Amino acid sequence: MSHRGRHQPAEPFFLKADLGERFCIYYPPAASKKCLGAFIYVHPFAEEMNKSRHMVAMQSRALAESGYAVLQLDLYGCGDSSGDFADATWEIWLEDIARAEEWILQKVSSPIGLWGLRLGAVLVLDYAKKYSGNFSTIVLWQPVINTGQYLTQFLRMSLAGEIVTDGKKGNSGTTHLRHELAAGKPVEIAGYMLSPLLANDLEKIVTTQLAVTSCRIHWFEFISESRQTLTPAGENLVSSWKKQGSDLSVHYVPCTPFWATQEISTCPALLDEMARIFLHEMT
Amino acid sequence: MRLLEDVKSILFNTLNLNKEKVILAESTYLLGNIPELDSMAVINVISAIEEHFDIKIEDDEINAETFETVASLIALINKKMQA
Repeated sequence: MSHRGRHQPAEPFFLKADLGERFCIYYPPAASKKCLGAFIYVHPFAEEMNKSRHMVAMQSRALAESGYAVLQLDLYGCGDSSGDFADATWEIWLEDIARAEEWILQKVSSPIGLWGLRLGAVLVLDYAKKYSGNFSTIVLWQPVINTGQYLTQFLRMSLAGEIVTDGKKGNSGTTHLRHELAAGKPVEIAGYMLSPLLANDLEKIVTTQLAVTSCRIHWFEFISESRQTLTPAGENLVSSWKKQGSDLSVHYVPCTPFWATQEISTCPALLDEMARIFLHEMT
Repeated sequence: MRLLEDVKSILFNTLNLNKEKVILAESTYLLGNIPELDSMAVINVISAIEEHFDIKIEDDEINAETFETVASLIALINKKMQA
């Protein structure tokens, strides 16, 4: 609150893209600072996007104050962008990042980084791998490690809804939902209409194939009292990427899963760790 | 016992519970008692347990009985780890 007057205000706008427009928020770098670079931020999936907005806004402001430009983009069918979630596909989302990259390159000539949370982290890696090698750094916040398993967890939400509301044994198992998707039918999960196309995209991604070697990768792993290291699956993924030549460091940060907690939560330790790294990087 | 401490820690962290206000013991009721435990939270707890203990929980094991108390959750993990 107290510092608000010193900030340059964030600039919301609509970015022209295929199939309508995308809602974006641009945080210009502090005028008093040397411009250190820019970040394009890609949000996580479904409800995780809404829950994490507050923390991401805090981080974007902090980066802007230290001299980074930040562009936040709502993907097709998400947030305030055009389209329905039911029509979104992985390919459209990759195209969205391409539009964001074009836009930011007109604003800032200094090094551009990609930053993604959860499924957004997988998306930025896939983008850097397939489309563009022009990035100086990639920031992954608690990346989804196995997208097929992540899909299962998402589908399970319909099951959990029944348990919580009725106290009964749920009967909409994920096997049934997968059959529906395989038959080409969309399924509705916790208010989100998931298309069979997008579900299929998520099933197909193999994260070990997303080893980016064209720039440095910072993996932020959120730890707790019960878990101080990477999960076994995370460990395997990191070592596979390193074997394939990725320049990757893992940063452990004590943090609540702010993209998932019922009450909106934030993580000050994460802001500190990001500042520690990015006040020196990219310059 | 280690398992109890791990499960408590997963619940505190995943549900973002205030340690000064919430006390978790084996007999603590979960569903219907802890308001933070909504459907998204149930899935997040299951996912955290799967990752932490490197086990796979089946759909038909995710039910109201499993989430009745801390002890019932531990019983499921025990069963899975011996399997």
